[in-house]
Amino acid sequence: MAKSLLIVSRQAPWAGPAAREALDIALAGGAFDLPIGLLFLDDGVFQLIAGQQPQRIEQKDLGANLQALPLFGIESLYAARHSLAERGLTEEALSLPVQVLDDTGLAALLDQYDQVITL
Amino acid sequence: MATLHLLSHSPFADGRLNSCLRLLGAADGLLLCGDAVYALQPGTAQLQILEQLPASIALYVLEEDLQARALPVPARVQAVDYPAFVELCGRYAKVNSWL
Amino acid sequence: MKFAIALFSPPHAPASRRALRFAQAVLDGGHEIVRLFFYQDGVHSASASVVTPQDELDSAAEWRAFVSRRQLDGVVCIAAALRRGVLNEEEARRYERDAANLPAPWELSGLGQLHEAAQLADRLVCFGGN
Repeated sequence: MAKSLLIVSRQAPWAGPAAREALDIALAGGAFDLPIGLLFLDDGVFQLIAGQQPQRIEQKDLGANLQALPLFGIESLYAARHSLAERGLTEEALSLPVQVLDDTGLAALLDQYDQVITL
Repeated sequence: MATLHLLSHSPFADGRLNSCLRLLGAADGLLLCGDAVYALQPGTAQLQILEQLPASIALYVLEEDLQARALPVPARVQAVDYPAFVELCGRYAKVNSWL
Repeated sequence: MKFAIALFSPPHAPASRRALRFAQAVLDGGHEIVRLFFYQDGVHSASASVVTPQDELDSAAEWRAFVSRRQLDGVVCIAAALRRGVLNEEEARRYERDAANLPAPWELSGLGQLHEAAQLADRLVCFGGN
């Protein structure tokens, strides 16, 4: 049985390539049919704001790649409730169908996975 | 499935320690290395928070980083070298580095 | 115990040296390293172009020597490497760049190698940040 991997994405979308490179790990895992989960934590939740215009800062659209996650079989998507709240973001306004978790839920989520990479 | 969390950023400059503490499991471990060892600086809120964690959460510090920074080892924390660090990785089900 | 070790930091970051000392302790402890995978700024830790002052630790050189001497599988992520200007001969030719700075023993490959290593290993340990 394949080991499961949780990727924790903590960086804001346009803080350099980190957010994209975290996503690339997820997509690569999906391409190999591995059990992958993706958690948006801390500034990572900023990736989930709808209607961003990266072309204004001459960046590629990270949002498009995020939307591709289900196509790669990655549907286990999560966001930290406290990270959203700290940043004034509401669940309804997010661009991806994520499960919002409180601290206990986050600890339990971490426990569920065989491996974790926090970027 | 307990996790060993690895921190290497100063808690004064950075939110990683706080974020980590929020999702720490009851049997998890925390290994401080690099500038994260500044969390053990005497007289700080950060050290207080760590010392008040439940006893079930083991705290470790990479000895070389403490010594480099002339910081003392609090009683609550176990100083480790690299061989012990490797062995710790085996004791926990997985390692989560806060990169 | 089998370890997969991933490095995300450049050679001058403490994490690069820390990962190396950890990797050495893994082998000294009788364990196995299934793969080293260098990603994000970690690709610079494999660069042969790094010039370090004589009185400083040459982390990139130490990594290269370690991987060669212990015959380890040292993989550098090709996408991360290209965007950071770390190229082997083949890629330097392909993209018509003047300098290749990724010699043997390093191999350029994709993220699939990181995933494979994570599947093969008992423990995946990542080093990065500071």
